[in-house]
Amino acid sequence: MTKSTARAGAGLQGRDRLAFLLVLVPYLIEHEQVSVATAAEHFGVGEALIRESVALIAVSGVPGETSAYQHEDLFDIDWDLFEQRDQIVLTRLVVIDDSPRFSAREAAALIAGLQYLSALPGSADDEVIGSLMSKLAIGSSGRPTEVAVAASPATAALVPVRDALAQRRELSFDYLSADGRTEHRTVDPLRVESLDRDWYLRGWCHLRQAVRTFRIDRMNSVEIGENQAQHGADDLSVPSDFFQPSATDLTVTINIDTAALPMIAEFFTADSQVREVGNRSLVNLRLGHVHGFKRVVAGLGGLAEVTDPGTAREEVAAWSREALAGYGL
Amino acid sequence: MFESTRATPPRVPVEERLFSLVLALLASEQGLTKAEILSTVQGYRQRFVRGGDNTSLERQFERDKDDVRELGIPLETVEPPGESGNNQLLRYRIPKGEYDLPAEVTFSPAEIGVLSLAGTVWREGSLSDESQRALHKLRALGVESSDPLIGYAPRLRTRESAFAPLNTAMDRKLEVAFDYLKPGDEHARRRRVAPLALVQHEGRWHVHGIDRDAEEPRTFLLSRILGAVTTTRRSFTEDNAGSAERALTDLRGLYESQCALLDVRPNTEAARRLLTRALDREDAPLRVHYTDVNVFADELAGYGPEVLVREPAALRDAVIERLRRTLRNHTAEAVSDRSEGESR
Repeated sequence: MTKSTARAGAGLQGRDRLAFLLVLVPYLIEHEQVSVATAAEHFGVGEALIRESVALIAVSGVPGETSAYQHEDLFDIDWDLFEQRDQIVLTRLVVIDDSPRFSAREAAALIAGLQYLSALPGSADDEVIGSLMSKLAIGSSGRPTEVAVAASPATAALVPVRDALAQRRELSFDYLSADGRTEHRTVDPLRVESLDRDWYLRGWCHLRQAVRTFRIDRMNSVEIGENQAQHGADDLSVPSDFFQPSATDLTVTINIDTAALPMIAEFFTADSQVREVGNRSLVNLRLGHVHGFKRVVAGLGGLAEVTDPGTAREEVAAWSREALAGYGL
Repeated sequence: MFESTRATPPRVPVEERLFSLVLALLASEQGLTKAEILSTVQGYRQRFVRGGDNTSLERQFERDKDDVRELGIPLETVEPPGESGNNQLLRYRIPKGEYDLPAEVTFSPAEIGVLSLAGTVWREGSLSDESQRALHKLRALGVESSDPLIGYAPRLRTRESAFAPLNTAMDRKLEVAFDYLKPGDEHARRRRVAPLALVQHEGRWHVHGIDRDAEEPRTFLLSRILGAVTTTRRSFTEDNAGSAERALTDLRGLYESQCALLDVRPNTEAARRLLTRALDREDAPLRVHYTDVNVFADELAGYGPEVLVREPAALRDAVIERLRRTLRNHTAEAVSDRSEGESR
């Protein structure tokens, strides 16, 4: 089970389309002649959306003095260029001649993103971020929404990782794997990614001869090698999702108070199922590795119980028993 | 959608109607009355019945107005002087000066690069739509970005389903209600809150607001909000300017004021996680700040035998209590046998 992320209504599509029309017009004004392909690439959208939008702009306008949408009240384009050569040239403008302001929430989304990035070593410094934040505030139609992100301290290893990536050199380190063993790895760095507080390196692993994901705070003795990296992000496809289900994943059934389900929502995968029994729920979760799930369960404050398989139950029990023994209990 | 079922006027797509509405309101300096809009603007005029019943068309206009405002377009209502209270004479307009990005706001290629990266941080959830639109607006400026941070793909999540409704309610200044399971409590309690800010601290999202039962400012963890957030019709008047910064300052203060003394097994998951946050990585025992004793106890209990809490006693007790509960849940008979048919 996953919480449905579908958002309501046909209105949303119309609204998003409107937003796009209002930015496409000033872009087309700025560029006297531009191809459909160039515009699509610039905005990162499909060519079909550009063509439909241009066709709509070309017949739109204001009611005008006669309230009858006369020819001179409408935008116009060079239709021959558009239909025969896929080129866009606006030949008449109506009302719009500038980019719209940011909405309060758009400005807030960018500002919070900037705050998050400020933790990144070598990113824009406080001064640049401060100046951008005030520009966004001036450029927004309302005071930016009160959304803020506290930058978390970045792992020390992020600096050499970033440098190796920038210099396209090999990186070697001792890596603490999920099962608690430490292995020496040499990697061609491809991309540095983050998920909230955690930073990851995607890299070509020399040992595994494949693209692997490494959590940067699990690295030790990180060194930039002498050798140039053999692989770069351009010549390898890096899967966009770094937690991929694998055959070695363990499926466990967890019994949890139904009201507390949201607390484990982040572990749901597409094939998770929830079955309600009284005021409790049974959920199957696929967890990345055998040694990870006991931490998840023990970290739920006693609100959850593993019911299946029995070996997993025993493992959680042993984990908490050993911890209590540390306290002499 | 509630389209008219009357004899088939030509169907005008939603985006064409909305675009025409924005153009018409931008073009008119003194504004247009609702009757003028419905009878002349493309997408409405096709369905307008002169002298007839236009109720459904009027409702359509109300929804469109909300959609336009939702995008941050300053759609204003103007009352003609001396005619207040007469809805028929209300005029609608979008002042060009409030709509256009001010001329003094310009961005260098490097700034566009940083902002583009900031915009890609949100790749899921409600803020990704907002930042996608913001990125389109940036691109409309036609400044090519220089890419100072190539090879980075940072990502922030707003996985909690409470985020979107809270953000919208905050924007509209409406009170909300939700069931909140306070860390350390076993049962949730209903809270009524005027939401003033959404902040992420220590990787967790919080909503800061006025708790209407206590009439005091409170901060809630989004992951502890159970079930749906209800947006009420009660609006609030508290000014929330600067609330997010203040809420973060408070959380930071709380974090700085509390420190745990921990024995951590070297070279374990716990060590890797906690060393980054330690005051001094070389210390033994390790000193680590925390914000909430119960939230931190949950995390530490997850590390099992890899961490031993020395101080403070409250944190130590909280961890032990969790470990005991977990052990009890996983020994003897299964909870599923106990809980079936049992009422709380």
